[in-house]
Amino acid sequence: MTEGPTFTTEVYQNQYLPAGGSVVDAVVTVTASGGAAAISAGGDPSSAAQVIMVDCSGSMTSPATKISEARRATAAAVDTLRDGVAFAVIAGRADADMVYPPRAELVPASAQTRAEAKSAVNRLTASGGTAIGRWLNLANVLFAGNPAAFKHAILLTDGRNQHETPEQLAEVLRSCEGRFICDSRGVGADWSGSELRTVAAALLGTADGLPDPTALADDFRSMTETAMGKAVAEVALRLWTPAGSTVRFVKQTFPHVADLTARRTEISARIGEYPLGAWGDESRDYHVQVEVPVGAVGEEVLASRASLVSGAQVLSQSLILAVWTDDTALSTKINPRVAHYTGQAELAEVIQEGLAARDAGDLETATSKLGRAVQLAEESGHEDTAKLLARVVDVVDASTGTVRLKQKVAGVDAELANVRSVKTIRVKNG
Amino acid sequence: MRCVACDAEVRPGDQYCEACGHKLSEPAPPLPPVPPEWVSSAGAARECPGCGGTAFGSEGYCETCGQRRPAGPDHSELALGALAGVTDRGHRHHRNEDAMALGRLPGAVVAVICDGVSSSTRPDAASHAAVDAAAPALLDALAGGTDPGPAITLAARAAQGAATLVAGAQPGGNPPSSTFVCAVVTAAAVTVGWVGDSRAYWLPERGTADMLTIDDSMAGQLAAAGVEVPEIARSRDAGALLRWLGADATDTAARLHTFTPPGPGRVLLCSDGLSRYAHTPADLAALAPVGPATDTAAALVRHALDSGGEDNVTAVLIPFPPPEEKP
Repeated sequence: MTEGPTFTTEVYQNQYLPAGGSVVDAVVTVTASGGAAAISAGGDPSSAAQVIMVDCSGSMTSPATKISEARRATAAAVDTLRDGVAFAVIAGRADADMVYPPRAELVPASAQTRAEAKSAVNRLTASGGTAIGRWLNLANVLFAGNPAAFKHAILLTDGRNQHETPEQLAEVLRSCEGRFICDSRGVGADWSGSELRTVAAALLGTADGLPDPTALADDFRSMTETAMGKAVAEVALRLWTPAGSTVRFVKQTFPHVADLTARRTEISARIGEYPLGAWGDESRDYHVQVEVPVGAVGEEVLASRASLVSGAQVLSQSLILAVWTDDTALSTKINPRVAHYTGQAELAEVIQEGLAARDAGDLETATSKLGRAVQLAEESGHEDTAKLLARVVDVVDASTGTVRLKQKVAGVDAELANVRSVKTIRVKNG
Repeated sequence: MRCVACDAEVRPGDQYCEACGHKLSEPAPPLPPVPPEWVSSAGAARECPGCGGTAFGSEGYCETCGQRRPAGPDHSELALGALAGVTDRGHRHHRNEDAMALGRLPGAVVAVICDGVSSSTRPDAASHAAVDAAAPALLDALAGGTDPGPAITLAARAAQGAATLVAGAQPGGNPPSSTFVCAVVTAAAVTVGWVGDSRAYWLPERGTADMLTIDDSMAGQLAAAGVEVPEIARSRDAGALLRWLGADATDTAARLHTFTPPGPGRVLLCSDGLSRYAHTPADLAALAPVGPATDTAAALVRHALDSGGEDNVTAVLIPFPPPEEKP
């Protein structure tokens, strides 16, 4: 019997509201530790399952390194699976085909099954189209028959989701929500950043693009290692809020922005839960905004009790308070973390809106949004995003957000800026 | 003939008392020491001030509307022997931030009032924690033979410690704060100690009533120095506290005053919720009917409420000399 990780929650907020104020902002930092040690000390391997979806559409042969590196990456992921972890490999085209095992099922990883799987992966050929929803659908069917507590998928694509409508994909994503977690990757130059983000957001995973196919193997290995390190499969943020209040939003703000507001499950009249997915040893931040009935100056109310729960078990708990004051020196202070993540969320938004405007030919909006993005990236010290933006715009003055759209932009640079727009950094001092 | 230990009838020639077994050739055994006893108004309120709900989470917030549970009830009346006190939330405040404690031990009676500073965070928590720390500290010191003055100093320190603890690990810029006033009354003297603007008065049976404390405010100090500047006394800044108890307080030693009454009378402790409605000690004396302490305290609080009840109000009456009470 091994212990799971230890969870802690910390709340960062300015609890003081001005007279008449009703909106309470807080950043809840959730940290899990000790889980990896528990797994290496003999965690149950059958508690995890993994499905790898490899794009085998025709375009994977141009250049040919894409399909060859995809084979190598899949083999690396298979090699990283712990003994006993149930797995399967799917070839994605306009439909989804089993690569290994041949029948639609998961098999436990062993020296033999890993060898068989790698041999099948080596024979993968590229031809046909792209319908990501079909691939996810097959993964969902495979996972459905398996009792593993933590189900993880990797989706690799090199192109846009051409052979089904966005509505079809959305419908599949809805049926997969909460069933498994999916990390999505684009390889080469022709994938869509917003599609990958859509999949990641719905299935609580990460999204990224790898223009260079030779980087795939390390990334697949690392994603699988991270998945193997997940010690708790299902964690939820439970918010108690007082009568007459409204949870305006719940957003993950670190390591990437993910809006969880619509993912609320009502537990009782005053309690709702938001899924946080699976956890290894890691730390994430959530921005919670609650609107409470206005109180008199001097009053103090519990605006929310934020708990981390696994099933019915409460793992950690923190309080979000509201205190009304007529001391404006107190009420006008914005908590540095709340301010930082408000900025990071806006940064993600203006990048996405700016790129969308640019694609639509609305150059004025694109310039203004991307200029604001450059300014926010500069202010928060988000260097990675600043570099990505510099591939899309010429920066005249970062501090004022003065930019000019580049005349020629490699398509993949815009997609990279898009897919990575949600990645955030933590506040530096505080 | 009677047993010296239990006062039962014994026959001449008995070696032992038939009733209690005391050896009759020996002197009476010493009486067991009378433990000091005390009561206070602290104790979480039963009902939520926001919605009237009675379910509270372990952190002390209403499970319905989230309001913080008050550290003391809206209204409370205490009596301990001849001492009595009444405290009330008043008409304007959401919570009763005043707290009081009464105590006695052989040879002395004591009382403490702490008034939470309304502009601080959770003032009621500070004041109630402060009285509950001060009363036992004071009685312990007195029972151990400490003189009233030093005993009050110890009690104020205990109150300061408790008020600081209420602030928790991160006191913030405006931590829970409270005033403190305390009296020790023996057959020989009245000793009072204070931090802030809660007051002690001497109300004699005959003669002139007097204020025994000096408010720790600019107005209080000017008044004590004999400067008559009524317009200053009424301005908010002049009334601002110069000293208080709490995590951010720097000067928290109780100011002490010992007074030997010329004759019988009463000591009144009160929060500024009462003194704001009585401008001179004589006014207060006129408002305090002679009679049982409970009735007098209730009458004084009633006066404050009838005059507007702008603040929490507390009055404690201690008779002088304290009546000898058999335990």
